Formats: sequence, C-alpha cells, structure tokens
Amino acid sequence: MFAAMAAAPLQAHGVIGQRFFPATITTDDPFAADELAFPTVTFFDHETAVDFDYSKTILPGFAIELGMDHVNSHPPGEARERGFDNLEIAPSLEVYRNPAHEFILSTGLEWQVGGTGSRSVAERSSTYTPTVKFGKGFGDLPDGLKYLRPLAVTGTVGYAIPGGGDEPNSIEWGGAIEYSLLYLQNNVRDQGFGKFVSHLTPLVEFAFSSPTDGSGTTGTINPGVIWSGKYVQLAAEAMIPVNRASGHGTGFIAQLHFYIDDLFPHSLGRPIFGGR
Amino acid sequence: MNSRVLACLALASVAAPVSAHAFLDHANPGAGAVLHVAPKSVMLAFSDDLEADSSVQIVDESGRSVAAGRTTVSANCIMAPLRALGPGKYRVVWHAVSMDDHRTQGAYEFAIRP
Repeated sequence: MFAAMAAAPLQAHGVIGQRFFPATITTDDPFAADELAFPTVTFFDHETAVDFDYSKTILPGFAIELGMDHVNSHPPGEARERGFDNLEIAPSLEVYRNPAHEFILSTGLEWQVGGTGSRSVAERSSTYTPTVKFGKGFGDLPDGLKYLRPLAVTGTVGYAIPGGGDEPNSIEWGGAIEYSLLYLQNNVRDQGFGKFVSHLTPLVEFAFSSPTDGSGTTGTINPGVIWSGKYVQLAAEAMIPVNRASGHGTGFIAQLHFYIDDLFPHSLGRPIFGGR
Repeated sequence: MNSRVLACLALASVAAPVSAHAFLDHANPGAGAVLHVAPKSVMLAFSDDLEADSSVQIVDESGRSVAAGRTTVSANCIMAPLRALGPGKYRVVWHAVSMDDHRTQGAYEFAIRP
C-alpha cells in the first residue's frame, strides 16, 4: 500500500474526480492535505477560542495534523478562565478513493495530549478518538436531477475514549451538506457568475457529541458559507445549539485557511516521501 | 495563431507567479449552453498555467470525437478546433495538469439546436 502511495500522482487538495471539497471548519474533512487553518475564531456560549491547525502530508494520502487553541471562558457569575487547551495530534489516512463517484473514505486518530495545555482550561489526561471520515459528491446523479449534482456531503464519526477522570466515552459525529456554485457553473450550467460568486459554497455543518452514559446528545448546527480562492479560503458560520444543554444563544465561527500545497508546491506543500 | 490563443496569452500575462491547482475559470461554449450556431472550437481557460499533457475531448451523443485537429495547450488555456457540427448534444471532457503537477478534471455538455 505504501509503495502505491509513494508512486501516486499529486492530487490537488480537496479534489476527488470532478469535485472540489472545500475544507470544512467545524468538522474534519476526509482529505489528507498540506494546509494551515489560522486563525479559526469561535464565539459561542460565553467562550471565545482562537485555533491553530497545521496539517502536513508525510506520504500522498497520509498526513499528520497538529492543533492547539487558546480559550477565554467567561460564564456569567463565574470566574474568567483563559489559557491554551491541550495539543491535538491527528494522523489521517485516505483508505479509498473513487473519482468516478466522487467518493473518498479516510480513517484517523485524534489524540488530545493531556497535560500539554494550561491548567486552568485543559484536561490533565489524554483523550483518544479513532475516527472514520468520508466525502461524497453527487455528480453522478442522472440528467433529470442535474441541479442536485453540485451537492456533496461529508461525514465523520469517532469514538472518544478519555484516558482518565470521570468523563464518559462518547460518540463524536458530524458532517456537512454543501452546494458548490463552482460545480454548478462548470459542470452543470454556466450561470454567468463572476469569479467571486462562482467560488462560494453555501453549506450547513453539524457537530454532535453523544456520551455513552446516556447523559444526552449535545451539539450545534452551523449554516454558513465558504469562499475558496487560489491559495486561501475564508469561511464563516453561525452556530445554533440543538438544545439547552448545548449552549445558550447563537454563536459564530470564522476561519482563514491556507492551501500550503499551492503556496509552496515545490517544498513545504509536497509530501515528505513520495508523490511526483 | 488565432485571436483566442492571443486572448489566452494575454490572460496568462497577468497570472500570479506562484503555481496552484488549475480549476476551470471560463469555457466557450459553456456548461449547459444551447447554441443555434455551431461553434468552430472549444476554448477552456483555467485559473493557472497548464502542462502540455493537459487535454480535452469533445464527443457527440454516440461517443465519437468531433475534434477537427490538434488541441492547443497554451499558458492557462486549452483550445480544440471542431468539425462542422450538426444539431445534437455534445460532451466536453477535460483533464488539466497545473505547472506544479496537480491534476483536476471536469466534464459538461452543450447542445446545438436548429
């Protein structure tokens, strides 16, 4: 398998068949790519967070992501807490690609390294979350449904296992439903969109956590839009809690995302091993 | 060198200096176009310069090529001359290889009506 990966031609980030999947901001997309997301700024439920995430391909289809965020929490009536959350290390491997059907499946492990963050906000113990992720574009729909071809979905399901403390295990699940105006313009019908509009992808993301102790699912539904440029993308979403336990009021998340493989195609943007 | 190739070169002259994956920026005829006059060529302009092994195929409803000669890849454009086309549906299938070797592909249809 690794020999095949090393011999693979380079794939543009987020591309499978005729489909380009922009990088989603609330949930992980299934691509192993060279990319930098900084900053991701979140305002939700009396908490502000600024995230940094960097993903580096080691082999074509295999990447390791490093992430860390700074949290500033100020619940009403409680003391303000601020500091860095734990470092997250997340290797990700693309295990199946079907370009004709715009389908990709990948697997990964998210390791929140206990004790690497500030004492005020970070857990002392690690959490391990084996994860399966997928993406599917609907470009293979028949002619009668051609205006649905720009639709695509991504999904992620993980099982979080805290390494200590009283936290229960939980199923972390989510995904995105997106409609690519670029796909509509280039593959279905030229709508005469300008360069800015044609690079927009309206989407709805959702991210949920379901503890296995039956204490109830929490999460948010996030409608928003992504603009994908040549080297960067910008994304913004509202965050709507699904129930009272998920938070109070509508939040907001925004991200600036750099395509490192396009910015530095001959150095930092290439896999360390393999690729041509 | 015809005017479309010149137009492509003019576009390329203002392209960014760093390479990136090539997405389709503009096509003539475009996706889903319904024409009453047969086009003499298909021209595809991309977001980045292309390697020479980028390609386009144009086929009729029976899958036969309707290209009339050699496809030209120049800067960020692919241009394919066409035979005299009659009424019907035609499919354009392209493969683009950007200067940094990233590969993208796409397909669309246009129609000619009497």
